[in-house]
Parts: sequence; structure tokens; C-alpha cells
Amino acid sequence: MRLVRELWKGAWSLLVGMGITGRHFVRRSVTLQYPHQRPDVSKWGGPIELKTFPETNTHDCIACNACVRICPSECIAVEGQRPQGSKKMRATLFTLDFSTCSLCGLCIDVCPTDTLQYSTRYDEAMYTRPATVNDLLGPFGDDPYLSGKLT
Amino acid sequence: MIDFVTTLAIGTAVIMGYLSVNVLFLVWLERKVSAYIQRRLGPMEVGPQGTLQTVADMLKLLGKQLLTPIAADKAVYWLAPVMVFIPTLCLASLIPLSGAEAFADQPYGLVVIIALSGLTVIAIFMAGWASNNKYAVLGGMRSVAQVIAYEVPVLLAALSVVLIAGTMNLRGIADAQAHGGGGLPFLLLQPVAAVLYFIGITAETNRAPFDIPEAESELVGGFHTEYSGMRFALFFFAEYTNMLVLGALGATLFLGGWHGPWLPGPVWLLLKAYALVAVMMWMRWTFPRLRFDQLMSFAWKLLIPVALVNLVVTALVLAVWR
Repeated sequence: MRLVRELWKGAWSLLVGMGITGRHFVRRSVTLQYPHQRPDVSKWGGPIELKTFPETNTHDCIACNACVRICPSECIAVEGQRPQGSKKMRATLFTLDFSTCSLCGLCIDVCPTDTLQYSTRYDEAMYTRPATVNDLLGPFGDDPYLSGKLT
Repeated sequence: MIDFVTTLAIGTAVIMGYLSVNVLFLVWLERKVSAYIQRRLGPMEVGPQGTLQTVADMLKLLGKQLLTPIAADKAVYWLAPVMVFIPTLCLASLIPLSGAEAFADQPYGLVVIIALSGLTVIAIFMAGWASNNKYAVLGGMRSVAQVIAYEVPVLLAALSVVLIAGTMNLRGIADAQAHGGGGLPFLLLQPVAAVLYFIGITAETNRAPFDIPEAESELVGGFHTEYSGMRFALFFFAEYTNMLVLGALGATLFLGGWHGPWLPGPVWLLLKAYALVAVMMWMRWTFPRLRFDQLMSFAWKLLIPVALVNLVVTALVLAVWR
């Protein structure tokens, strides 16, 4: 009798297990097909980038070098130039060596014009060391201040 | 004579072609089933829903180098994948696809099938022994012990069906479950035998939870550890073909074979066989592997006594009934 009861218990536990896997079988998959689908990473802090302000449709980096000075890993390099007839400098070079950046965010805090922010890029991968250097001015093209379109 | 040869050639080509497609499909299905149970998607990249993934895998295996270990017994090592493959091919030809169609209709078809399916284990042991690798030998020996233990309940379960049907011809057994014969599938008349048979064939095809001959966590790959390329693929081929053939045999013995409304016979038989195979896959991705002593005591102390009691009770009921 005890044997029969144990057998029944064992067989029932197997059926319970198959019920669990069966339920999971019909549930929706949680896999994201990564290169085709991308997760929502709006809260992610990736490598820094220059903000675009809607009023001027460009960044507002004045090449003050505050970020360069505060950066603990010395991974930022900024050069600037003064447009003709202007009091403010404009950045002509802004690079970030992401291989040494620790994403501490001090540059973002110290920026007087609030033009730095974390990007939402999360899949940084490259094959060579020079490729880790991000050109932050790259996406902006010709500077409207330096070419005289804006003053 | 010419007629015989052409029939043989065409039959072999048809069966081989179908079985190859079947293996590709079953491997894909297995990956999909496991993925869905684990709430993944499984193969998705090659072809729609990853259907061509197994074709790509097969091409890769075809292109791989065939390695032979230096210390291996070369002739036996070479022969084992062939040996594992031939019995499954013969098995497939014995299943009656419908009332009129079977490649080989034997008066004692059931006995032939059970005898042939026992042959696979010899090839597995050959593979394990010839590899000259301790894991392979262990896997081969485990496989022998397991198949010897689990053939008995399969045979006894099939015998209780034979008692009711009164024939060992597979077509006769299937007909006995149709309206002309008993009218009921033997699953309802012999539920214990059906369960025993199903457990037995799961063990005979070396599938989880009885996959100790190739237990990955203990034996690397078991008997096929040293095999590569197409030789390895042949073991895979044999395993999945065996699943389908024993599933089709189960469908013939317990689910009424090709008999069913509306659809043509072969479709019904394959539907039933694939349903059994799907349950085997479902079980594989649910249950953990048995320990070896648990496996043996399960067969000898539980399955065989229950099968014997079932056989005797069936015989008694039949004797009183008639």
C-alpha cells in the first residue's frame, strides 16, 4: 500500500513538473533579438556627448577646459578658437578617450554651459585602440559660429 | 529479380530521403521546444523561424574533418556509425503506413522490430569500445545495461497488446483497434502497458531522463565523444530516427495506427508518431537525469514486475472473457 502511495506521489510530481514546463511553453518569450531589436536604455549613462540646444541647433561648448581639468582620468581633450567679433570661444576639437573614461560624470557637473550629457549608447566595441577615441564634435559638422552664420 | 532490385532501391531512397528530412525537422523541433520551455526563441536567424538552421548545421558537419584517435580500433571505429544507422533504416521500412502501404509487411513484424531495435546497442557499444576512451567505454557499457533492462518491459507491454489483438503482424494489430476489430485504441484497453511502453522507448532511445549513456555532465559525450563530422551526425541521425520509428510503433500498438477519420492513413500515423515524439521532447526538458542505480532499480524492481502482472492479468481476463 505504501509503495502504491509513493508511486502515485512520484508520478503525480512528474505530471506537476510537466505542467510547469507546459505553462512556460505557451508563455511569451523574454528573448530580445538583439541586433534587430534594441532594449529601452533611456536611463543608461553611456559615453558623454554634446547636447544639441533647440534654439541654436548646435552645442554650446565654449572650450573653457573645465572638463579637461576636472577629469580624473585625463581622457578629454578640448581645443578652441575665438570667432571674429565674438567674446566667447568655440570648440574646434573635443575628443574623449573612452578606453580610460570611468563614466564618473564630473565633466557633466562642472560644465558651465550644461552642454555635456551621458549618451544612451551601450554597445561600444572596437578593434583598435585609436578607435576608442570618440570625436564629440563629429556629429555637428560645420560650426555656425565659426563660419559666421551665428553670432 | 530486376523488379525486386528496383523496389529495394526506390524504397531505400524514399525512406532515406524522408528520414533525413525528418531528422532535420526533429532537431529543429527539439531546439524550439527547449527554447520555448525556457522562454527563449531558439534558432531564428537562418530561414524563417530558423527552419534552415539544421540544414546549415548538417552542411557544416559534412564539411568537417573525420578524426580517428591514434589508439582507436580503426575497423570497429569506422564500422560503428554505419552499424548504428542500418537497423534504424530497416525499422522504418517495417512500420505499416496504411492498410495497403508498408515497405516490408512481415507476419511477425513486431518481433522483427523489437529484435532490430536491440541491434542499435551493439553499434553503440562498438563505438564506445573502439574509441579507446574511458568516457566512451563507460557510456557504451551504460547503454548496454540500460537497453537490456528496458527491452524487457517494452517487450512485455507489446505482448499484452499482442494477446488482445491475437496477431504479431503490425497491420493486424492496427486493424484490431479499428471499427472492424475491437473498436477501441489499445491505449484505453491497456493503459498500463502504454505507459510502460512509453517509458521503455524513452530509455531505449537514450533520451532524458534516461540519457545516462551520453550524460554530458559526467561523460563528456558518452559513446560518441571521439566522433566528429558526419560520423557524429550518423549517431544523431540514428537517435532521432529511432525516436520517430518507436513513436510510430507506439502509435500502431496503442493509438490505432493509421486509423482515423477524414485524413489519409499515413498522415494519421505520422501525426500520432510526432505527438509521441513531442511528448518525449517535453519530458526531456522537464525531468532531471536519473542516477545509474536509480535507473536500473526502476527497470528491474518496478517496470518489469508491473509489466509481468499486467501481462498475467490480461491473459486471465481474456481467458475468462472468451
